[in-house]
Amino acid sequence: MSKKIIVKGLDANGQRINTQIFENLVQEAFTKSHDLVLETYGQHNVGGRLKSNGEPVNIEINGPCGQRLGCMGMPGTKIVCNGPASDDVGWLNIGAEITVKGDATNGICNAMAEGKVYIGGSIGARGLTMTKWNPDYNRPELWVLGSCGDSFAEFNCGGIAVVCGIEAKNADNVLGYRPCVGMVGGSIYYRGKIDGSYSQISVKAVLPDDEQWQWLMERMPNYLENIGRSDLLATLSKRDEWAMLVSIPPQERALMKTDPMSMAEFKQKIWNPGFGGGDPIRDLAPGLDRSVIGMVETGELRRKKPFWANRDKSAPCAYYCPVHIPTIDRLKLMREGKGKEAYDMLLEYTPLPASVCGHICPNLCMQNCSRQKVDEKIDVQMLARAAKDHPAPKTAPSIGKKVAVIGGGPAGMNAAWQLARAGVEVHIFEQDHQLGGKLAQVIPWERMPQAIWMSEIDRFMAMDHITVNFGVTMTKDKFAELKKDFDHVIVAVGTHQPRTIPFPGHERVIPALDFLKSAKSDKPMKVGKQVVIIGAGNVGCDVACDAYKLGAEQVTLVDIQKPLAFGKEKAAAEALGAKFKWPVQTKEVTEQGLVDAAGQLIEAQTVIISIGDVPALKFLPETVEVLTVGGAGWVKCNAAGRTSDPKVSAVGDVERPGLATSALGAGKKTAEALLAEFRGEEWHDFGKEVVPQTSLTYAHYEPQCVGGSEGAEAERCMSCGTCRDCHLCETICPEGAITREKLPDDTFRYVSDDNKCIACGFCSDTCPCGIWLMRPF
Amino acid sequence: MVSIRSIASHPSSLSPNDLPWKIVHREDRCTLCGKCAAVCPVNTLKLTYMRKRMPKIVLNSTERGSSYKTFVGIRQNTDVGRRCIGCGSCSMVCPNEAIGPVHNASDRYRFQATAGGGAITRGGRRNEPGASLLDRIIFNRISMLTDPALDAGRHEFTYNTLLGRVLPPEEYVRRKLSGEWIPPVREIFPFVIGSMSFGALSPNMWLGLLQGVAYCNEVLGIPVVMATGEGGCPPWVLKSPFLKYIILQIASGYFGWDEIIRAIPEMQCDPAAIEIKYGQGAKPGDGGLLMWFKVSKLIARLRGVPEGVDLPSPPVHQTLYSIEESVMKMIQSMSMAWNFKVPVYPKISGSTSAKSVLNNLVRNPYASALMIDGIDGGTGAAYDISLNATGHPIASNVRDCYLDLCKQGKQNEIPIFAAGGVGKNGNVVQNALALIMLGASGVHMGKFIMQSAAGCLGSEQNRCNVCNIGVCPKGITSQNPKIYRRLDPDDVAQRVVETFQSIATEVKKVMAPLGRSQSLPIGMSDALGIADKDAADRLSIRYVC
Repeated sequence: MSKKIIVKGLDANGQRINTQIFENLVQEAFTKSHDLVLETYGQHNVGGRLKSNGEPVNIEINGPCGQRLGCMGMPGTKIVCNGPASDDVGWLNIGAEITVKGDATNGICNAMAEGKVYIGGSIGARGLTMTKWNPDYNRPELWVLGSCGDSFAEFNCGGIAVVCGIEAKNADNVLGYRPCVGMVGGSIYYRGKIDGSYSQISVKAVLPDDEQWQWLMERMPNYLENIGRSDLLATLSKRDEWAMLVSIPPQERALMKTDPMSMAEFKQKIWNPGFGGGDPIRDLAPGLDRSVIGMVETGELRRKKPFWANRDKSAPCAYYCPVHIPTIDRLKLMREGKGKEAYDMLLEYTPLPASVCGHICPNLCMQNCSRQKVDEKIDVQMLARAAKDHPAPKTAPSIGKKVAVIGGGPAGMNAAWQLARAGVEVHIFEQDHQLGGKLAQVIPWERMPQAIWMSEIDRFMAMDHITVNFGVTMTKDKFAELKKDFDHVIVAVGTHQPRTIPFPGHERVIPALDFLKSAKSDKPMKVGKQVVIIGAGNVGCDVACDAYKLGAEQVTLVDIQKPLAFGKEKAAAEALGAKFKWPVQTKEVTEQGLVDAAGQLIEAQTVIISIGDVPALKFLPETVEVLTVGGAGWVKCNAAGRTSDPKVSAVGDVERPGLATSALGAGKKTAEALLAEFRGEEWHDFGKEVVPQTSLTYAHYEPQCVGGSEGAEAERCMSCGTCRDCHLCETICPEGAITREKLPDDTFRYVSDDNKCIACGFCSDTCPCGIWLMRPF
Repeated sequence: MVSIRSIASHPSSLSPNDLPWKIVHREDRCTLCGKCAAVCPVNTLKLTYMRKRMPKIVLNSTERGSSYKTFVGIRQNTDVGRRCIGCGSCSMVCPNEAIGPVHNASDRYRFQATAGGGAITRGGRRNEPGASLLDRIIFNRISMLTDPALDAGRHEFTYNTLLGRVLPPEEYVRRKLSGEWIPPVREIFPFVIGSMSFGALSPNMWLGLLQGVAYCNEVLGIPVVMATGEGGCPPWVLKSPFLKYIILQIASGYFGWDEIIRAIPEMQCDPAAIEIKYGQGAKPGDGGLLMWFKVSKLIARLRGVPEGVDLPSPPVHQTLYSIEESVMKMIQSMSMAWNFKVPVYPKISGSTSAKSVLNNLVRNPYASALMIDGIDGGTGAAYDISLNATGHPIASNVRDCYLDLCKQGKQNEIPIFAAGGVGKNGNVVQNALALIMLGASGVHMGKFIMQSAAGCLGSEQNRCNVCNIGVCPKGITSQNPKIYRRLDPDDVAQRVVETFQSIATEVKKVMAPLGRSQSLPIGMSDALGIADKDAADRLSIRYVC
């Protein structure tokens, strides 16, 4: 089968045979000979698909060659095209050796997997693109004598190109514009100038090493012989004229810095110099530190920090008590085993703890006690009663000041008590023949046992520096005298003038004050079987109880509004059968009883009016300003109880009606203000805010069945606002920032180390007493 | 016993179940390190002690009673003012994955957030979860055999846009020959960092953005510009070579313009453009307010005001009464400031009246562009009602304006820039190219760049969104150095660069299949489709399904 067969591309008539028929002719000839001469006339895809069993196949192409010369060329096939070739020479070639003596156009070796393509001239664009290499076979090769067009070797997967730069179409750039984009394998030998536009993330420029140089030199003679240019061997054997682009393995590419410039370099070389070499806001904010910090910081970089605000705020018991008796401090002393000191302290606040706190006070301290959120409020009444026989506190030596107190009710008594403790000589001028004012005159002994009262009065009378003058009726002259003789006068006359309403028959009505005084006296007045009380407040309830005691069978309390009575007084009256009726507006009072606005009669033999009392102030000089409210005059005072006359103060109901405790509180406050004045000091009112309940941590306390002993109450106290030294903050702090410090005066404090604290607020969230506060700083 | 205490219930009492974000705390994992409570920007987290009653329930035992066990957990404050904002800073710092906020769809918070009679305000974004209209527009004119097939990876693309008045060719030639004034035009990357002021943004954020923008220009050759918003610009920046990447804004507060005017003689280059703000998509017809606590010493200096005062930008410019006058006074004055060499354009909020504004601009020889900010735009502070329900969606607004220009044959002369929700769900290139193909010449993006470059935590479910109160957990919108120092400007710059690199790639990935490589497909609406007939009809694009 060695006879050379010629296949013509033109038919007998000189007409071009189409590609399909030409291919049939070639395949037919191939069955007869493996040595073919194809006189092509633009037929495509010639030279491929010619499979011999190892025998060499020689194809010579004469005449104009169509596209895709050697397409799907087989191993063993050797194609020599004696002229130039068109596009896609060697497309999908899997082994043929294709020589083109002239130039070739675009797409040479596209998708070629094996074989060699030798070009004797230059090639067009997109040569060696998508060129494969199956490692079980040989690498495909493309040899170009001249230059390549643009986009050379895109996505080359393993092909090797040799571009010699001889008689190059584009001698200034033998690899064309932007070669090797997406090239992942293979390498390119080139000789001559390139423009550097190759894809730098795909290939790198290197010089051939010995092995690569050897590879080139071993094959070069064969290539040159194939294209008939062996004369160039010496020219192309100068190693220093050759360079290579080799693909970058993916592992290496992953490590490559793809940024053309690091941000740090940019900052140093371009950014900072743009602002004259420095921070662009250095003039606006000199020294402003903008350096980077973390999310969780310590020290000055925290947005808030803890403050150990021990005793900055008041416990509710002390805050709401008009006398501001610090029950929590009392209980703290008890917890510390200082029972006596606890009683001493109580008596520093009030002369009447057992009678008032222990019996008649509605105990605002207890009403607001935080402990009731856990179980029961602290039993302050019980604690107060226990003080009944405790001796009076020691008084200070006389300081040479004299104060007159007009009125020996609770306000006057506490004013006197406080002044006497401080060494002021106090003279009380009392209209009645006993101390205590309304407490003694009108509060039924059922509600305030006489024995306790008497023992507290005895303690009061035993106090140094106090002189009591009974049966003194105050007049303008007498007042002027007192003002002259004493350093200061305190008006504490209370309200002893009953308020009445001038409806028809008002003369039949007994004022509650008179009734109560009478009921508590040795010779109580008589009452009818049916009693009506106008005014259903707590005093009205006391009246009702006394009326029952004096023989009434039915007591009705009427009011024009919803009765204000509450608590023990109301309960006591209701227990005895008192009825409340409202709204009732009194039209008149007749012999039969009370007639309301609708003409309805409430039968009664006794009608008592209990709508309050007003002060009797006729003795006051004009220097003391009086304020008229609700038809009655009340002394006008500042926060310290000082009237418009700097030598006169007023305390208690005479200034503003209130609880017995309010009167005690006013007496104490005024005394303290006066003492500050005597000492030349500035006086401060009780200025603390109450501890917010939300700042306490209730869950630390277990609900208990309430014990009832003083010791048990001391243990139950939640110590609102005062550190109980429990160390919980120290324990919970995740940063170990909190320590307890002992102070020289035997006290202590807890401190948080700013350099450790991250301001999580756990100390504040944990503190049982609301001491730690988180505040911005 | 268990105490019986009265639990007060006020109209505004909320339980954790009523809050928009619920803290889920896993006590079994918590190490009580305190970091969550330390970092919480709104101080809602607290260590909470809880007491458990363990009754002794044994039928055949005579022993009765209860014992108590105390346990701790991290709980949230349920006060309206201290609710969890869902930012998730707690989970970011938790070493044990023990804590984090979970969105609660059935919250009642919004009904109670009006304590004190104030209307609800927030920063951030409109709350409209789900795919936006722009997210639903797809590009479906794919060029394969009908046009040159392009490869985004290897072909070269020109995707820049023009900001400025483009003269018709014959007019250009005439003026060129006669030596007359030719309006300034900038070639810029069509994705502009939207107006966010130095003041609304922290110094680290603002400077980080500019640093990244400068890098894009100087190193990568991507001509990114950023708009500053009202509030001035540091003098060193005004005098730097980077001013050319900045669009300065003048708004109704005129803040910072003293420093700008002072710096003009010393400027090395001109700014990219001047934006005159008449409206903002997030709060159309409403002004801005920089709260006093954001007016630090630095901001005060920058804006030419005293420290620690509220800085309101009124809803309107006090001395402007009509479109014509606004166009005359503002555009001409701002053009003149830089010798008519800087493009000047107004920014308005999306509105049915946008076309009227546009038509005025068409007739004004100095007007360089129109910027329309749609309802999905973000803000540092606005009323909820403004953010949620006031304004006009950007897509049809831009479309109407563009088609109007087409009718006049002016579509290549005055560019329209679009903003408001571009990339709000992360699809920034899709959204932007949809707007561009509807007729915009470019887009502005604010929220997207904050999320992408600085890790902004905001979401359309009202996550975080507290830019208005100066506690931004990422340090983006705070003037408190204890907070903004968390943000490294170099990191922001790096992320800006990475963001624009990826945007550039994605733009090519859309342009290539459309067969476009040499110009941005402005108005190429034949490539758009949407599976929504009404939207397709309204936008004059193809309905596809």
